[in-house]
Amino acid sequence: MIDGCRVIDFHGHVGRWDRYGMKDDPGLMLRAMDAAGIDVSCLFTIFHPDGTTGNDLSAGFIARHPDRFVGFAYVSPMMPERMIAELERAIDTLRFVAIKLYPPYTPRPFHAAPWHPIYEFADARGLAVIFHTDQYPTNRPRFLEDIAPLYPRANFVAGHSGNVEEARVEAIAAARKYPNVYLETCSTYRTPGVIEQLVNEAGADRVLFGSDIPLMDPRPQIGKIVTARISDEAKRLVLGANAARLLRGVERTS
Amino acid sequence: MSTLHFAPRVPVIDANVCVGDAHTGPSPCRNRQQLFDEMDFHGIERAVVYHIQTEEISPVDGNHQLEDWLDDDRLIPQWSVLPTDDSIEQIQRLYREKRVSSLRLHHTRPAGLPFCTWGYDVLLDWLSDTGIPLWIPLTENDPTELVTTLREFPGVRVVFVGAHYTHALLVRPLLKTLPDAFLELSRYEPIGEIEALAARFGAHRLIYGSWYPRYAMGPMLFYLHHTRLTDEELADVCAGNVRKLLGIG
Repeated sequence: MIDGCRVIDFHGHVGRWDRYGMKDDPGLMLRAMDAAGIDVSCLFTIFHPDGTTGNDLSAGFIARHPDRFVGFAYVSPMMPERMIAELERAIDTLRFVAIKLYPPYTPRPFHAAPWHPIYEFADARGLAVIFHTDQYPTNRPRFLEDIAPLYPRANFVAGHSGNVEEARVEAIAAARKYPNVYLETCSTYRTPGVIEQLVNEAGADRVLFGSDIPLMDPRPQIGKIVTARISDEAKRLVLGANAARLLRGVERTS
Repeated sequence: MSTLHFAPRVPVIDANVCVGDAHTGPSPCRNRQQLFDEMDFHGIERAVVYHIQTEEISPVDGNHQLEDWLDDDRLIPQWSVLPTDDSIEQIQRLYREKRVSSLRLHHTRPAGLPFCTWGYDVLLDWLSDTGIPLWIPLTENDPTELVTTLREFPGVRVVFVGAHYTHALLVRPLLKTLPDAFLELSRYEPIGEIEALAARFGAHRLIYGSWYPRYAMGPMLFYLHHTRLTDEELADVCAGNVRKLLGIG
Protein backbone atom coordinates (compact mmCIF):
# COMPACT_ATOMS: atom_id res chain seq x y z
CA MET A 1 0.00 0.00 0.00
CA ILE A 2 1.32 3.45 -0.81
CA ASP A 3 -0.52 6.41 0.69
CA GLY A 4 -3.74 4.40 0.83
CA CYS A 5 -3.31 3.15 -2.72
CA ARG A 6 -3.38 -0.60 -3.24
CA VAL A 7 -0.40 -1.47 -5.42
CA ILE A 8 -0.60 -4.27 -7.99
CA ASP A 9 2.44 -5.34 -9.98
CA PHE A 10 1.13 -6.51 -13.35
CA HIS A 11 4.31 -8.28 -14.54
CA GLY A 12 6.15 -10.94 -12.58
CA HIS A 13 7.59 -14.40 -13.05
CA VAL A 14 7.91 -17.78 -11.45
CA GLY A 15 11.02 -19.77 -12.32
CA ARG A 16 14.77 -19.42 -12.56
CA TRP A 17 16.93 -17.88 -15.26
CA ASP A 18 20.26 -18.74 -13.78
CA ARG A 19 22.59 -16.91 -16.12
CA TYR A 20 20.93 -13.61 -15.19
CA GLY A 21 20.63 -14.22 -11.48
CA MET A 22 16.87 -14.62 -11.60
CA LYS A 23 15.54 -16.84 -8.84
CA ASP A 24 11.97 -17.16 -7.60
CA ASP A 25 12.75 -17.11 -3.91
CA PRO A 26 9.43 -16.13 -2.30
CA GLY A 27 11.15 -14.68 0.76
CA LEU A 28 13.32 -12.43 -1.40
CA MET A 29 10.36 -11.42 -3.51
CA LEU A 30 8.10 -10.63 -0.56
CA ARG A 31 10.82 -8.62 1.21
CA ALA A 32 11.32 -6.51 -1.90
CA MET A 33 7.56 -6.13 -2.38
CA ASP A 34 7.06 -5.10 1.25
CA ALA A 35 9.89 -2.59 1.07
CA ALA A 36 8.37 -1.03 -2.04
CA GLY A 37 4.74 -1.09 -0.86
CA ILE A 38 3.53 -3.67 -3.40
CA ASP A 39 0.46 -5.55 -2.21
CA VAL A 40 -0.01 -8.11 -4.98
CA SER A 41 2.18 -9.37 -7.81
CA CYS A 42 0.79 -11.04 -10.92
CA LEU A 43 2.96 -14.01 -11.81
CA PHE A 44 3.41 -16.41 -14.70
CA THR A 45 5.88 -19.05 -15.85
CA ILE A 46 6.97 -18.73 -19.46
CA PHE A 47 9.85 -21.19 -19.48
CA HIS A 48 7.91 -24.34 -20.47
CA PRO A 49 6.37 -24.45 -23.96
CA ASP A 50 3.60 -26.87 -23.09
CA GLY A 51 2.03 -24.33 -20.76
CA THR A 52 0.90 -26.99 -18.30
CA THR A 53 4.26 -27.48 -16.61
CA GLY A 54 4.75 -23.78 -16.04
CA ASN A 55 1.16 -23.11 -14.99
CA ASP A 56 1.39 -25.88 -12.40
CA LEU A 57 4.63 -24.37 -11.10
CA SER A 58 2.97 -20.98 -10.87
CA ALA A 59 -0.03 -22.47 -9.05
CA GLY A 60 2.20 -24.21 -6.54
CA PHE A 61 4.19 -21.04 -5.91
CA ILE A 62 1.09 -18.87 -5.54
CA ALA A 63 -0.61 -21.35 -3.20
CA ARG A 64 2.03 -20.62 -0.55
CA HIS A 65 1.08 -16.91 -0.46
CA PRO A 66 -2.35 -16.58 -2.08
CA ASP A 67 -2.93 -13.18 -0.51
CA ARG A 68 0.16 -11.73 -2.24
CA PHE A 69 0.29 -13.39 -5.65
CA VAL A 70 -2.15 -14.12 -8.44
CA GLY A 71 -1.52 -16.23 -11.53
CA PHE A 72 -1.69 -15.53 -15.25
CA ALA A 73 -1.99 -18.50 -17.61
CA TYR A 74 0.76 -19.15 -20.14
CA VAL A 75 0.27 -21.04 -23.40
CA SER A 76 2.15 -21.17 -26.69
CA PRO A 77 0.92 -21.48 -30.27
CA MET A 78 3.86 -23.82 -30.87
CA MET A 79 1.67 -26.47 -29.21
CA PRO A 80 -1.72 -25.44 -30.59
CA GLU A 81 -3.50 -28.63 -29.66
CA ARG A 82 -2.93 -27.86 -25.98
CA MET A 83 -3.78 -24.16 -25.93
CA ILE A 84 -7.48 -23.91 -25.22
CA ALA A 85 -7.77 -26.90 -22.91
CA GLU A 86 -4.87 -25.52 -20.90
CA LEU A 87 -6.39 -22.06 -20.75
CA GLU A 88 -9.66 -23.54 -19.51
CA ARG A 89 -7.81 -25.51 -16.87
CA ALA A 90 -5.72 -22.54 -15.78
CA ILE A 91 -8.67 -20.17 -15.47
CA ASP A 92 -11.34 -22.55 -14.17
CA THR A 93 -9.33 -24.95 -12.01
CA LEU A 94 -6.15 -23.10 -11.09
CA ARG A 95 -8.15 -19.84 -10.74
CA PHE A 96 -5.73 -17.77 -12.75
CA VAL A 97 -7.00 -14.34 -13.67
CA ALA A 98 -5.45 -13.35 -17.01
CA ILE A 99 -3.19 -14.60 -19.82
CA LYS A 100 0.50 -14.05 -20.51
CA LEU A 101 2.02 -14.61 -23.95
CA TYR A 102 5.70 -14.51 -24.95
CA PRO A 103 6.10 -14.10 -28.73
CA PRO A 104 9.95 -14.07 -28.72
CA TYR A 105 9.88 -17.83 -28.09
CA THR A 106 8.06 -18.38 -31.38
CA PRO A 107 8.71 -17.52 -35.03
CA ARG A 108 5.19 -16.11 -35.34
CA PRO A 109 4.31 -12.43 -34.95
CA PHE A 110 1.56 -12.25 -32.41
CA HIS A 111 -1.07 -10.97 -34.83
CA ALA A 112 -0.73 -14.12 -36.96
CA ALA A 113 -3.50 -16.69 -37.20
CA PRO A 114 -2.09 -19.32 -34.80
CA TRP A 115 -2.45 -16.91 -31.89
CA HIS A 116 -6.11 -16.04 -32.49
CA PRO A 117 -7.79 -18.95 -30.66
CA ILE A 118 -6.20 -17.48 -27.52
CA TYR A 119 -7.74 -14.09 -28.24
CA GLU A 120 -11.13 -15.65 -28.91
CA PHE A 121 -10.92 -17.34 -25.52
CA ALA A 122 -9.91 -14.10 -23.82
CA ASP A 123 -12.73 -12.23 -25.57
CA ALA A 124 -15.32 -14.81 -24.53
CA ARG A 125 -14.16 -14.62 -20.91
CA GLY A 126 -13.41 -10.87 -20.75
CA LEU A 127 -9.79 -11.51 -19.82
CA ALA A 128 -6.66 -9.40 -20.06
CA VAL A 129 -3.77 -10.65 -22.19
CA ILE A 130 -0.26 -9.31 -21.60
CA PHE A 131 2.42 -9.75 -24.27
CA HIS A 132 6.13 -9.16 -24.24
CA THR A 133 6.58 -6.31 -26.73
CA ASP A 134 9.67 -4.71 -28.21
CA GLN A 135 11.24 -3.73 -31.54
CA TYR A 136 11.83 -7.25 -32.86
CA PRO A 137 9.75 -8.82 -35.66
CA THR A 138 7.45 -11.12 -33.67
CA ASN A 139 6.84 -8.62 -30.86
CA ARG A 140 5.91 -5.26 -32.38
CA PRO A 141 3.24 -3.33 -30.47
CA ARG A 142 1.65 -2.22 -33.73
CA PHE A 143 0.21 -5.75 -34.01
CA LEU A 144 -2.18 -4.74 -31.25
CA GLU A 145 -4.03 -2.60 -33.78
CA ASP A 146 -4.80 -5.78 -35.75
CA ILE A 147 -6.07 -7.65 -32.72
CA ALA A 148 -7.79 -5.24 -30.38
CA PRO A 149 -10.72 -4.28 -32.61
CA LEU A 150 -11.51 -7.93 -33.34
CA TYR A 151 -11.84 -8.85 -29.68
CA PRO A 152 -13.44 -5.89 -27.91
CA ARG A 153 -14.26 -7.74 -24.68
CA ALA A 154 -10.63 -8.72 -24.11
CA ASN A 155 -8.03 -6.25 -22.89
CA PHE A 156 -4.58 -6.35 -24.47
CA VAL A 157 -1.54 -5.16 -22.55
CA ALA A 158 1.74 -4.18 -24.20
CA GLY A 159 4.24 -5.54 -21.73
CA HIS A 160 7.22 -3.16 -21.40
CA SER A 161 5.27 -0.71 -23.61
CA GLY A 162 7.57 -1.69 -26.47
CA ASN A 163 10.73 -1.19 -24.38
CA VAL A 164 12.49 1.21 -26.80
CA GLU A 165 11.30 4.39 -28.41
CA GLU A 166 10.56 3.09 -31.92
CA ALA A 167 8.28 0.40 -30.46
CA ARG A 168 6.93 2.57 -27.65
CA VAL A 169 5.39 5.00 -30.13
CA GLU A 170 3.58 2.04 -31.71
CA ALA A 171 2.26 0.95 -28.33
CA ILE A 172 1.02 4.44 -27.53
CA ALA A 173 -0.62 4.75 -30.95
CA ALA A 174 -2.46 1.47 -30.41
CA ALA A 175 -3.64 2.56 -26.96
CA ARG A 176 -4.88 5.88 -28.33
CA LYS A 177 -6.84 4.14 -31.03
CA TYR A 178 -8.41 1.29 -29.09
CA PRO A 179 -9.90 1.45 -25.59
CA ASN A 180 -8.94 -2.13 -24.83
CA VAL A 181 -5.19 -1.60 -25.22
CA TYR A 182 -3.05 -0.89 -22.16
CA LEU A 183 0.61 -0.10 -21.57
CA GLU A 184 2.69 -1.79 -18.89
CA THR A 185 5.79 -0.08 -17.50
CA CYS A 186 8.45 -2.59 -16.56
CA SER A 187 11.66 -2.16 -18.48
CA THR A 188 15.39 -2.34 -17.98
CA TYR A 189 15.45 0.85 -20.05
CA ARG A 190 14.57 3.44 -17.42
CA THR A 191 14.79 6.36 -19.82
CA PRO A 192 13.82 9.73 -18.34
CA GLY A 193 10.41 10.94 -19.38
CA VAL A 194 8.96 7.59 -20.47
CA ILE A 195 6.38 7.30 -17.68
CA GLU A 196 5.33 10.88 -18.36
CA GLN A 197 5.06 10.10 -22.08
CA LEU A 198 2.88 7.05 -21.51
CA VAL A 199 0.57 8.92 -19.14
CA ASN A 200 0.39 12.12 -21.15
CA GLU A 201 -0.09 10.50 -24.54
CA ALA A 202 -2.15 7.40 -23.78
CA GLY A 203 -3.86 8.52 -20.60
CA ALA A 204 -3.18 7.68 -16.96
CA ASP A 205 -6.09 5.24 -16.99
CA ARG A 206 -4.32 3.07 -19.57
CA VAL A 207 -0.94 2.57 -17.91
CA LEU A 208 -0.13 -0.35 -15.60
CA PHE A 209 2.79 -0.66 -13.19
CA GLY A 210 4.90 -3.77 -13.64
CA SER A 211 8.36 -4.78 -12.46
CA ASP A 212 9.47 -8.09 -14.06
CA ILE A 213 10.04 -9.43 -10.54
CA PRO A 214 12.20 -11.46 -9.80
CA LEU A 215 14.26 -10.90 -12.96
CA MET A 216 14.52 -7.33 -11.74
CA ASP A 217 14.06 -5.94 -8.27
CA PRO A 218 10.69 -4.16 -8.14
CA ARG A 219 12.01 -1.21 -6.17
CA PRO A 220 13.63 0.76 -9.05
CA GLN A 221 10.61 -0.04 -11.21
CA ILE A 222 8.19 1.39 -8.69
CA GLY A 223 10.65 4.24 -8.21
CA LYS A 224 10.06 5.11 -11.87
CA ILE A 225 6.41 5.79 -11.08
CA VAL A 226 6.86 7.56 -7.75
CA THR A 227 9.59 9.88 -9.08
CA ALA A 228 7.83 10.66 -12.36
CA ARG A 229 6.45 14.13 -13.03
CA ILE A 230 2.82 13.01 -13.02
CA SER A 231 -0.05 13.83 -10.70
CA ASP A 232 -0.86 11.88 -7.55
CA GLU A 233 -4.08 10.75 -9.18
CA ALA A 234 -2.13 9.42 -12.15
CA LYS A 235 0.26 7.59 -9.82
CA ARG A 236 -2.66 5.94 -8.05
CA LEU A 237 -4.16 4.79 -11.33
CA VAL A 238 -0.86 3.45 -12.62
CA LEU A 239 0.18 1.80 -9.38
CA GLY A 240 -2.96 -0.22 -8.86
CA ALA A 241 -6.38 1.17 -9.71
CA ASN A 242 -6.09 0.33 -13.42
CA ALA A 243 -4.93 -3.21 -12.71
CA ALA A 244 -7.74 -3.78 -10.25
CA ARG A 245 -10.22 -2.67 -12.89
CA LEU A 246 -8.73 -5.03 -15.50
CA LEU A 247 -8.72 -7.90 -13.07
CA ARG A 248 -12.22 -7.12 -11.78
CA GLY A 249 -14.17 -9.90 -10.25
CA VAL A 250 -11.03 -11.52 -8.94
CA GLU A 251 -11.45 -11.71 -5.18
CA ARG A 252 -7.73 -11.59 -4.37
CA THR A 253 -7.27 -8.20 -5.99
CA SER A 254 -10.46 -6.50 -4.78
CA MET B 1 7.55 2.97 3.99
CA SER B 2 6.83 4.19 0.47
CA THR B 3 4.82 7.30 -0.27
CA LEU B 4 3.70 8.83 -3.54
CA HIS B 5 6.42 11.44 -3.12
CA PHE B 6 10.06 10.65 -2.67
CA ALA B 7 12.95 12.76 -1.50
CA PRO B 8 16.31 11.42 -0.35
CA ARG B 9 17.04 11.62 3.35
CA VAL B 10 20.82 11.74 2.93
CA PRO B 11 23.12 13.94 0.85
CA VAL B 12 23.47 12.62 -2.68
CA ILE B 13 26.22 12.84 -5.27
CA ASP B 14 25.30 11.25 -8.60
CA ALA B 15 28.54 9.57 -9.69
CA ASN B 16 27.62 9.06 -13.33
CA VAL B 17 26.03 11.83 -15.40
CA CYS B 18 26.62 12.49 -19.08
CA VAL B 19 26.25 15.98 -20.55
CA GLY B 20 25.99 17.12 -24.13
CA ASP B 21 23.82 16.13 -27.08
CA ALA B 22 24.04 12.70 -28.70
CA HIS B 23 23.84 12.10 -32.42
CA THR B 24 20.65 10.13 -31.77
CA GLY B 25 18.96 13.14 -30.25
CA PRO B 26 19.44 16.11 -27.94
CA SER B 27 19.87 15.64 -24.23
CA PRO B 28 16.85 16.45 -22.06
CA CYS B 29 19.13 18.98 -20.34
CA ARG B 30 20.63 21.36 -22.89
CA ASN B 31 22.50 23.54 -20.41
CA ARG B 32 23.81 23.68 -16.87
CA GLN B 33 20.72 25.28 -15.36
CA GLN B 34 18.44 22.63 -16.81
CA LEU B 35 20.73 19.97 -15.36
CA PHE B 36 20.62 21.70 -11.97
CA ASP B 37 16.80 21.79 -12.18
CA GLU B 38 16.76 18.03 -12.82
CA MET B 39 19.17 17.40 -9.96
CA ASP B 40 17.10 19.62 -7.64
CA PHE B 41 13.92 17.75 -8.54
CA HIS B 42 15.51 14.51 -7.36
CA GLY B 43 17.32 15.98 -4.36
CA ILE B 44 20.81 15.51 -5.80
CA GLU B 45 23.40 17.97 -4.55
CA ARG B 46 26.31 17.30 -6.87
CA ALA B 47 27.13 15.17 -9.90
CA VAL B 48 30.22 13.70 -11.50
CA VAL B 49 29.88 14.67 -15.16
CA TYR B 50 31.55 13.64 -18.41
CA HIS B 51 30.84 14.75 -21.97
CA ILE B 52 29.14 12.48 -24.45
CA GLN B 53 31.58 13.44 -27.19
CA THR B 54 34.19 11.43 -25.30
CA GLU B 55 32.23 8.19 -25.67
CA GLU B 56 32.39 7.52 -29.41
CA ILE B 57 34.33 10.39 -30.99
CA SER B 58 37.13 12.04 -29.05
CA PRO B 59 38.07 12.11 -25.38
CA VAL B 60 40.43 15.02 -26.09
CA ASP B 61 37.78 17.17 -27.80
CA GLY B 62 35.03 16.03 -25.48
CA ASN B 63 37.08 17.06 -22.45
CA HIS B 64 37.35 20.56 -23.96
CA GLN B 65 33.57 20.60 -24.46
CA LEU B 66 33.04 19.56 -20.85
CA GLU B 67 34.65 22.84 -19.73
CA ASP B 68 31.55 24.74 -20.95
CA TRP B 69 29.41 22.86 -18.41
CA LEU B 70 31.49 23.33 -15.32
CA ASP B 71 30.63 25.60 -12.44
CA ASP B 72 32.47 26.11 -9.18
CA ASP B 73 30.75 23.56 -7.10
CA ARG B 74 27.93 21.28 -8.16
CA LEU B 75 29.40 19.59 -11.20
CA ILE B 76 32.58 17.57 -10.66
CA PRO B 77 34.41 17.04 -13.95
CA GLN B 78 35.34 13.56 -15.05
CA TRP B 79 37.83 13.56 -17.86
CA SER B 80 37.94 10.75 -20.38
CA VAL B 81 41.20 9.18 -21.46
CA LEU B 82 42.68 6.67 -23.87
CA PRO B 83 46.29 5.48 -23.96
CA THR B 84 47.62 7.89 -26.56
CA ASP B 85 50.31 10.49 -25.95
CA ASP B 86 48.09 13.51 -26.53
CA SER B 87 45.25 12.17 -24.39
CA ILE B 88 47.56 11.35 -21.49
CA GLU B 89 49.33 14.72 -21.86
CA GLN B 90 45.98 16.49 -21.68
CA ILE B 91 45.10 14.66 -18.49
CA GLN B 92 48.50 15.26 -16.95
CA ARG B 93 48.22 18.99 -17.68
CA LEU B 94 44.81 19.06 -16.00
CA TYR B 95 46.29 17.14 -13.08
CA ARG B 96 49.06 19.73 -12.68
CA GLU B 97 46.26 22.34 -12.53
CA LYS B 98 44.74 20.24 -9.69
CA ARG B 99 41.57 19.62 -11.70
CA VAL B 100 41.53 15.82 -11.88
CA SER B 101 39.66 13.79 -9.28
CA SER B 102 38.66 10.88 -11.56
CA LEU B 103 39.05 9.62 -15.11
CA ARG B 104 36.78 7.65 -17.42
CA LEU B 105 38.07 4.97 -19.75
CA HIS B 106 37.43 5.49 -23.46
CA HIS B 107 36.57 2.24 -25.18
CA THR B 108 39.41 1.28 -27.56
CA ARG B 109 38.44 -2.27 -28.39
CA PRO B 110 36.47 -1.28 -31.53
CA ALA B 111 39.74 0.14 -32.84
CA GLY B 112 41.60 -3.07 -32.13
CA LEU B 113 43.24 -2.23 -28.82
CA PRO B 114 42.05 -4.45 -25.98
CA PHE B 115 42.36 -3.40 -22.35
CA CYS B 116 45.76 -5.02 -21.90
CA THR B 117 49.02 -4.32 -20.13
CA TRP B 118 51.05 -3.80 -23.31
CA GLY B 119 48.57 -1.12 -24.46
CA TYR B 120 47.69 0.56 -21.16
CA ASP B 121 50.80 0.27 -18.97
CA VAL B 122 51.80 3.94 -19.16
CA LEU B 123 48.32 5.13 -18.19
CA LEU B 124 47.85 2.52 -15.48
CA ASP B 125 51.29 3.23 -13.99
CA TRP B 126 50.35 6.91 -13.78
CA LEU B 127 47.01 6.09 -12.16
CA SER B 128 48.79 3.89 -9.66
CA ASP B 129 51.27 6.65 -8.82
CA THR B 130 48.64 9.39 -8.48
CA GLY B 131 45.82 7.38 -6.91
CA ILE B 132 43.32 8.81 -9.39
CA PRO B 133 40.35 6.41 -9.71
CA LEU B 134 39.23 5.18 -13.13
CA TRP B 135 35.59 4.72 -14.14
CA ILE B 136 35.24 1.72 -16.49
CA PRO B 137 31.93 0.99 -18.27
CA LEU B 138 31.33 -2.72 -17.82
CA THR B 139 29.03 -2.64 -20.84
CA GLU B 140 31.95 -2.05 -23.18
CA ASN B 141 34.80 -4.03 -21.77
CA ASP B 142 35.78 -7.66 -21.70
CA PRO B 143 35.81 -8.91 -18.10
CA THR B 144 38.72 -11.27 -18.72
CA GLU B 145 40.84 -8.38 -19.97
CA LEU B 146 39.77 -6.26 -17.01
CA VAL B 147 40.76 -8.85 -14.45
CA THR B 148 43.96 -9.94 -16.17
CA THR B 149 45.22 -6.41 -16.65
CA LEU B 150 44.06 -4.80 -13.41
CA ARG B 151 45.60 -7.61 -11.37
CA GLU B 152 48.97 -6.38 -12.62
CA PHE B 153 48.24 -2.89 -11.26
CA PRO B 154 46.89 -3.54 -7.77
CA GLY B 155 47.19 0.10 -6.75
CA VAL B 156 44.72 1.29 -9.38
CA ARG B 157 41.23 1.93 -8.04
CA VAL B 158 38.44 1.33 -10.52
CA VAL B 159 34.71 1.92 -10.53
CA PHE B 160 32.79 -0.48 -12.72
CA VAL B 161 29.94 1.43 -14.30
CA GLY B 162 26.65 0.18 -15.67
CA ALA B 163 26.57 -3.40 -14.37
CA HIS B 164 23.25 -4.92 -15.44
CA TYR B 165 21.37 -8.11 -14.66
CA THR B 166 23.08 -9.53 -17.74
CA HIS B 167 26.31 -9.17 -15.76
CA ALA B 168 24.88 -11.05 -12.77
CA LEU B 169 27.41 -13.88 -13.09
CA LEU B 170 30.35 -11.45 -13.25
CA VAL B 171 29.82 -8.96 -10.49
CA ARG B 172 30.61 -11.00 -7.41
CA PRO B 173 33.74 -12.62 -8.89
CA LEU B 174 34.93 -9.20 -10.06
CA LEU B 175 34.50 -7.62 -6.65
CA LYS B 176 36.14 -10.62 -4.98
CA THR B 177 39.10 -10.75 -7.38
CA LEU B 178 39.74 -7.00 -7.51
CA PRO B 179 39.62 -5.70 -3.94
CA ASP B 180 40.21 -2.11 -5.14
CA ALA B 181 37.16 -2.19 -7.40
CA PHE B 182 33.92 -0.39 -6.69
CA LEU B 183 30.50 -0.90 -8.26
CA GLU B 184 28.38 1.93 -9.58
CA LEU B 185 24.73 1.01 -9.35
CA SER B 186 22.85 2.81 -12.15
CA ARG B 187 21.66 -0.37 -13.88
CA TYR B 188 22.10 -3.05 -11.24
CA GLU B 189 18.68 -4.56 -10.68
CA PRO B 190 18.98 -8.30 -9.82
CA ILE B 191 16.54 -8.79 -6.99
CA GLY B 192 17.95 -8.16 -3.53
CA GLU B 193 21.51 -7.96 -4.81
CA ILE B 194 22.40 -4.51 -3.54
CA GLU B 195 21.72 -5.66 0.01
CA ALA B 196 23.51 -8.93 -0.67
CA LEU B 197 26.58 -7.17 -2.11
CA ALA B 198 26.66 -4.79 0.83
CA ALA B 199 26.56 -7.72 3.21
CA ARG B 200 29.22 -9.68 1.33
CA PHE B 201 31.68 -6.98 0.26
CA GLY B 202 30.70 -3.94 2.29
CA ALA B 203 28.57 -0.96 1.43
CA HIS B 204 31.80 1.04 1.15
CA ARG B 205 32.31 -0.49 -2.29
CA LEU B 206 28.96 0.55 -3.72
CA ILE B 207 28.32 3.92 -5.37
CA TYR B 208 25.09 5.55 -6.47
CA GLY B 209 25.11 6.78 -10.04
CA SER B 210 22.21 7.24 -12.44
CA TRP B 211 23.91 7.35 -15.86
CA TYR B 212 21.54 10.17 -16.68
CA PRO B 213 20.22 10.80 -19.30
CA ARG B 214 20.34 7.17 -20.40
CA TYR B 215 18.45 6.45 -17.21
CA ALA B 216 16.36 8.62 -14.97
CA MET B 217 17.96 9.91 -11.77
CA GLY B 218 15.16 8.96 -9.38
CA PRO B 219 14.52 5.19 -9.57
CA MET B 220 17.82 3.83 -8.24
CA LEU B 221 17.88 6.50 -5.54
CA PHE B 222 14.36 5.41 -4.54
CA TYR B 223 15.55 1.80 -4.52
CA LEU B 224 18.51 2.54 -2.27
CA HIS B 225 16.21 4.31 0.19
CA HIS B 226 13.98 1.22 0.38
CA THR B 227 16.63 -1.38 1.16
CA ARG B 228 17.87 -2.72 4.47
CA LEU B 229 21.03 -0.61 4.29
CA THR B 230 21.60 1.24 7.56
CA ASP B 231 21.38 5.02 7.44
CA GLU B 232 25.18 5.16 7.63
CA GLU B 233 25.53 2.73 4.75
CA LEU B 234 22.93 4.63 2.73
CA ALA B 235 24.82 7.88 3.28
CA ASP B 236 28.04 6.21 2.18
CA VAL B 237 26.54 4.71 -0.97
CA CYS B 238 24.75 7.93 -1.92
CA ALA B 239 27.69 10.27 -1.40
CA GLY B 240 30.29 9.29 1.19
CA ASN B 241 32.05 6.61 -0.84
CA VAL B 242 32.45 8.75 -3.93
CA ARG B 243 33.64 11.67 -1.81
CA LYS B 244 36.41 9.51 -0.38
CA LEU B 245 37.30 8.12 -3.79
CA LEU B 246 37.53 11.55 -5.36
CA GLY B 247 39.24 13.11 -2.36
CA ILE B 248 36.67 15.87 -2.12
CA GLY B 249 34.74 17.43 0.73
